[in-house]
Amino acid sequence: MRRIRCALFLMVAIALTALAGPTAFAQDGDFFVYVGTYTGFKYVHHSKPYGFGDSRSKGIYVSRFHLATGELSEPELAAEVVNPSFLAISPNHRFLYAVSEDPLSLGPPLDHSSYVSAFAIDSASGKLRLLNTAPASGTSTCYISMDRTGRYVFMANFGSGSVSVIRVRDDGSLGELTSFIQNVGHSVDRSIQMEPHPHWVGPSPDNRFVVVSDLGMDQVQIFRFDAETGRLSPPGPPFVKVYPGGGPRHFTFDLAGKFGYQLSEMSGTVDVFAWDPSQGTLTLLQRAQTVPHDFFGGNHSAEIEIHPNGKFLYESNRRTYSETQRAPDTIGVFAIDPEKGTLTPVEQSLTGGIMPRNFTIDPNGKYLLTANQLSNNVVVYAIDPGTGRLSKTGKEIKVDTPVCLKFIPASR
Amino acid sequence: MRNIRNLILLAVSTIASLPYAWSAPAGEYFVYFGTYTGFTYMKEGLPAGASNSKGIYVSRFNPATGVVSKPELAAELVNPAYLALHPNHRLLYVATEDPLSLGPDFDHESYISAFAIDPATGKLRLLNTLPTGGTSTCYLSIDKTGRYVLMANFGSSSVTVLRIKEDGSLSEQTAFMKHVGHGKDASFQSQAHPHSIDVSPDNRFAVVSDLGVDKVFVYHFDAATGTLSPDNPPFVEAEAGGGPRHFVFDAAGKFGYALHEMSGFVTVMAWDGASGTFTKVQEARTLQPDFVGSNDSAEIAIHPNGRFLYESNRRFRGPDLWGPDSIGVFAIDPVKGTLSEVEQVAPQGTMPRQFAIDPTGGYLFAANELTGNVVLFRIDSTTGRLSATKTELKIDVPVCIVFVPVER
Repeated sequence: MRRIRCALFLMVAIALTALAGPTAFAQDGDFFVYVGTYTGFKYVHHSKPYGFGDSRSKGIYVSRFHLATGELSEPELAAEVVNPSFLAISPNHRFLYAVSEDPLSLGPPLDHSSYVSAFAIDSASGKLRLLNTAPASGTSTCYISMDRTGRYVFMANFGSGSVSVIRVRDDGSLGELTSFIQNVGHSVDRSIQMEPHPHWVGPSPDNRFVVVSDLGMDQVQIFRFDAETGRLSPPGPPFVKVYPGGGPRHFTFDLAGKFGYQLSEMSGTVDVFAWDPSQGTLTLLQRAQTVPHDFFGGNHSAEIEIHPNGKFLYESNRRTYSETQRAPDTIGVFAIDPEKGTLTPVEQSLTGGIMPRNFTIDPNGKYLLTANQLSNNVVVYAIDPGTGRLSKTGKEIKVDTPVCLKFIPASR
Repeated sequence: MRNIRNLILLAVSTIASLPYAWSAPAGEYFVYFGTYTGFTYMKEGLPAGASNSKGIYVSRFNPATGVVSKPELAAELVNPAYLALHPNHRLLYVATEDPLSLGPDFDHESYISAFAIDPATGKLRLLNTLPTGGTSTCYLSIDKTGRYVLMANFGSSSVTVLRIKEDGSLSEQTAFMKHVGHGKDASFQSQAHPHSIDVSPDNRFAVVSDLGVDKVFVYHFDAATGTLSPDNPPFVEAEAGGGPRHFVFDAAGKFGYALHEMSGFVTVMAWDGASGTFTKVQEARTLQPDFVGSNDSAEIAIHPNGRFLYESNRRFRGPDLWGPDSIGVFAIDPVKGTLSEVEQVAPQGTMPRQFAIDPTGGYLFAANELTGNVVLFRIDSTTGRLSATKTELKIDVPVCIVFVPVER
């Protein structure tokens, strides 16, 4: 009986994923692009916020993206909310979830709680209507995603070192906490790895496992996920260690669900893993470098994403020569070996601004948009689907302190 | 408008607490015992010893005769270390402190379970179980309206609040507060460790004892939303290395008493209920000046007549050299709130992590964690003095006691 129920859930999950997947976008329509921002400060370095009062942002912005021309409309405030630093959109495109990373804008030592807010998306205007707000059960919550059924949100609480799962009710609002995992540990970099810092959490393609990237512990963790109860169960499959001091930040599965790619913030490496969906295990295949051999200075890699055609991987790098000298920031482009999953460098492209904390690729794979946190712009690059290379379109919009980008199709 | 809402809430809370006052003097009580099922005690942050306990136990107690029945298993549950009774006396909330019985560094979550009390048998029926939002959850309490449960998560340095639904089951988290910092005692205070959380008598504030940072925090509690927000000032600084563990308000809501685990001091504070501020009045010693060894004070409670304060002390003089444990009895000055020692009584067992006074004020039940016995003491209501009775219950690793009036 239990097995049948699980199987049913899986089928529902797959059906929902298929509905929401790239096939539904295979038309040249308009999209809404949501932009998450910091409203209280400019950026966080070593767990401390900098540039208080320097952000003029008021919350989540929405812009209409015209796929035929790559044109972005003037961004409008979709919802007023404090520090909406990461966003997740439900598989049915009706709801958006935003974390308020540091609600008091004071940074981790004094911020007592992060929040998550549920919004209903107005399909005509793209504007957001607040449904409810709940504590994230952690501090400095920096990442949010949903399970494949759209019935749970997963949150990575960087500050307090935990991962939490909250149920989503039928009306899209947030319900009870269904799981909570407190990480305990540290790693070698004394400036940022003195305690656990989960930075990413997301479901496996079949929704049976959840992967957590912990930047503070240099671990990629795998938990069993029960979509019936919303619970993560340790001990799951064995955890994977990355290079000491690397700082695992964001993770992505490939489209076929055969490989996993872990981007580490400080080392700038992408660990390529084979994913065994039956056991929920990751096996290291390759450690790809994103930082040139002759580079000296500080590297902070940020976002990683795979092109909808499955052939290319993109990752962003925020770099500094010194405290005051920034750049050159880059978007690294890599070709994915379809059999082995391994990466070959294609190019390191510029980002059209400073500090590309986030970027995203439109669901049709024609454009890549960079969110440049310090230069306050979202820049549109065209993607060559044959080579993966990026080229300037000359199109960009101004948004203050953009740190997260999400696409959904706009109704016509 | 806000004031009106507060007034309504106050009225609701007063009504909610009335049945307690009515039913307290008469009749029998169910006595619930929380236990550790996976170990005997925590030794330097790691579990030690074994337990044959299976969960929560219940006895029937007649305060008129002092007769208490043999405890029976009321509900099977892993490490039900702390229990809290709903104001309607029909629901019991229980924290599963360490689900894996491996201790704070390994137990990555704690759970809270809601139970309905069978009014005839005292047996417990599980309503639901949710994560507490923290680890090593060691304390919980219910707000005066019965609509929220407040929890202290010792391991992960946080306090959390969950909403209680109409049917008594647990629902969404309404507040999360993380404490950051450390104290001077490297062995216990390398991080914050909230150890208790209780609402003020008027339900407008919540008081949190943090053993790790030597502070007693005061939060504004909004009973309309279940949220906590820092008071101004946000905390009272306690003596460095003292380790605030449990806290109690006096019956009139004029004074607060904070018991410090390591120092064994009781800080007496005048409570300004209007602004939510404490003013220190006295640091009362519970330890004899000539005491040599380690002290871990544990529980603090005030007699229903408001005149006496009791607190328990777990002590040891070296590896496996336990004792002398004691329950301290103090007289409360009715005007100044200050304490003067009446006596220190041996708990007739080892490691009195918890004790409780029956609501009629006739008996004190001492739960001795290491010796697995709960001993009944008769209380002299005019002097506060304790005298051990011959009655004791055998319960493996008892760590919490709650009285519930039996409905008739």
